[in-house]
Amino acid sequence: MSEPNESVPGLKQKKVFKIIVLGDSGVGKTCLTYRFCEGKFLDKSEATIGVDFRERTIRIRNEDIKLQLWDTAGQERFRKSMVQHYYRNVHAVVIVYDVTKPETFHSIANWMQEVESHGLTGAPRVLVGNKCDCGTPESRLATTYAQRLADKHGMPLFETSALLESECDNVESIFMTLAHKLYSKQPLRVLSVEGENKPKLVTLSRQKRSNADSGSCLCS
Amino acid sequence: MESNSPDAESGDKCAINGDCSLTSNKDSNGLNHAKNIDDISTPSELKFDEDFEFEDSDVTEKRKELEKCLSNPDVVNLEQWVHFAKSKGGLISDEYRRKIWPLLVGVTQEEMTVPPSLDELSTHPEYNQVVLDVNRSLKRFPPGIPYEQRVALQDQLTVLILRVIIKYPHLKYYQGYHDVAITLLLVCGDKASFPLLCRLSYGPNAPLAPFMQATMKPTQHLLNYMLPIIRRGDDRLAECLEKSGVGTMFALPWYLTWFGHSLNRYTDVVRLYDYFLCAPPLFPVYVTAALVLHRAPDVLACDADMAMMHCLLSRLPDDLPFEDILVTAKKLYEENDPIDLDGEVAALEKREEEQRRLDEERMRRRAAGRAGGRPVARGWSYLPVVLRRPGPRRAAFALAAALLAVYVYYRPDLFR
Repeated sequence: MSEPNESVPGLKQKKVFKIIVLGDSGVGKTCLTYRFCEGKFLDKSEATIGVDFRERTIRIRNEDIKLQLWDTAGQERFRKSMVQHYYRNVHAVVIVYDVTKPETFHSIANWMQEVESHGLTGAPRVLVGNKCDCGTPESRLATTYAQRLADKHGMPLFETSALLESECDNVESIFMTLAHKLYSKQPLRVLSVEGENKPKLVTLSRQKRSNADSGSCLCS
Repeated sequence: MESNSPDAESGDKCAINGDCSLTSNKDSNGLNHAKNIDDISTPSELKFDEDFEFEDSDVTEKRKELEKCLSNPDVVNLEQWVHFAKSKGGLISDEYRRKIWPLLVGVTQEEMTVPPSLDELSTHPEYNQVVLDVNRSLKRFPPGIPYEQRVALQDQLTVLILRVIIKYPHLKYYQGYHDVAITLLLVCGDKASFPLLCRLSYGPNAPLAPFMQATMKPTQHLLNYMLPIIRRGDDRLAECLEKSGVGTMFALPWYLTWFGHSLNRYTDVVRLYDYFLCAPPLFPVYVTAALVLHRAPDVLACDADMAMMHCLLSRLPDDLPFEDILVTAKKLYEENDPIDLDGEVAALEKREEEQRRLDEERMRRRAAGRAGGRPVARGWSYLPVVLRRPGPRRAAFALAAALLAVYVYYRPDLFR
């Protein structure tokens, strides 16, 4: 993705990163995005019909960044023609599965295919195994197994629970990882914005920042 | 899983729901529920115990008429019931709805059969999806409902849905169907809700039938009537919506569930159902348009940004004046028959198709850029969009060359 911010950067406007959250029905996409954006567990989560939207502003290097999370319906019939529209201008992808339901893990291949079909192969992606508070250790999908798949697709793996308070930081780091990755990837950065009444003069400079140093500030 | 509760009990449940909206003015704390609350039950955001300060004299009058008609229903014709359902306040309380909803869609007593047990149905391929959605429908149950009763109702809901898609195997379950089913179940009980839901799901004019096809394409097509309807009401508003690129997704749950999924106030939901049960199948889309028109000031004040617009529209305030909205919707329907809008819908769909084509083209370019010449792709991305397409690019170069030639012709001194 070469242009994380579609409109003219700066000028009172925050940077916006759009993240689409995918995965089978009932894996906890809504609870995960709710946990990140509202800081708590969504007690009475309902089936998502179509697409829900949530956002949160975070700070990276003293800059406010708006993370827009598009929470999609899991049922296949919504994906085909409807959700398609929401892949437009997406910067990053989160694929969620339920660690206690192997079939939701096996669907990942389909989700990956869908992501690729929308030209998002180069976009940052993360794999999230949700509900690690549920079931017994034996009934949960083995981490090594999930890690192998994540490695194969070159994406980080997070195992977490949207329910547990103790896992809160982990949910945080899923989206912060993506945000930092996107931040360090953007080709242009606003250095200064001249007064708003003057001709809109924006000084741009190519950003020299590698992925390596982007993890230094995990602000929340 | 518990088996279904006996008939007598389900009748009681209906009465409880009827009471919720009825007795609340006297009993604003909903104490009739409070004494039943056990530890497991959770408070709900649903406001079943709506407190209306006083009852409109029209409503009191209507209530009298309704009771008169219900005391001798055989002499009342359908038109009269439809009039009750559509006019201000609708059918007023669930006690009346339970009797009148089946009449509105022409369900007979003989069709109200005892449902099978859940176990008999659990082999259905959609069973898991249905159970998943039903288990997540807690918000739709009356607040303070005892745990056992809720679980029994959830089982009834699963049975109800599965019965319909077993009876009509070509109809596909969609997420949101459970929101319609639960509204019918809460009002009419498990026996009457089955033929009711069948009527709504199957048949040439069945309002839910388009949602249950193999794909969502028919639904999407019908939702595309929304913008042209809005345009007939407020051109500037339609312009604003279109410019933002918000699409119709924000209204999808409204339409698929007849607002059952999206409204917090139970009384609003059942009021709308009163109307929808006897309205033309596309009428909910007109209500959707009327609702957006009602919120025009907010929409016009919102940034023309897809995300912000989606966010604003998809969250419905609790105090929407639905009686007014229904009147607007009725007026819109009378003045703009769906047939008159076909042309505009076709044009809109053509534009969307074109956009989709451009998107796909861009995705291909994106993929190609990654595969081969990423720097090239990046370089192009800074050019204005028109220059990225080969046709206009060539034209631009030709124009530049021509201008240069003219310049050189008139100022040859510079080039000596």
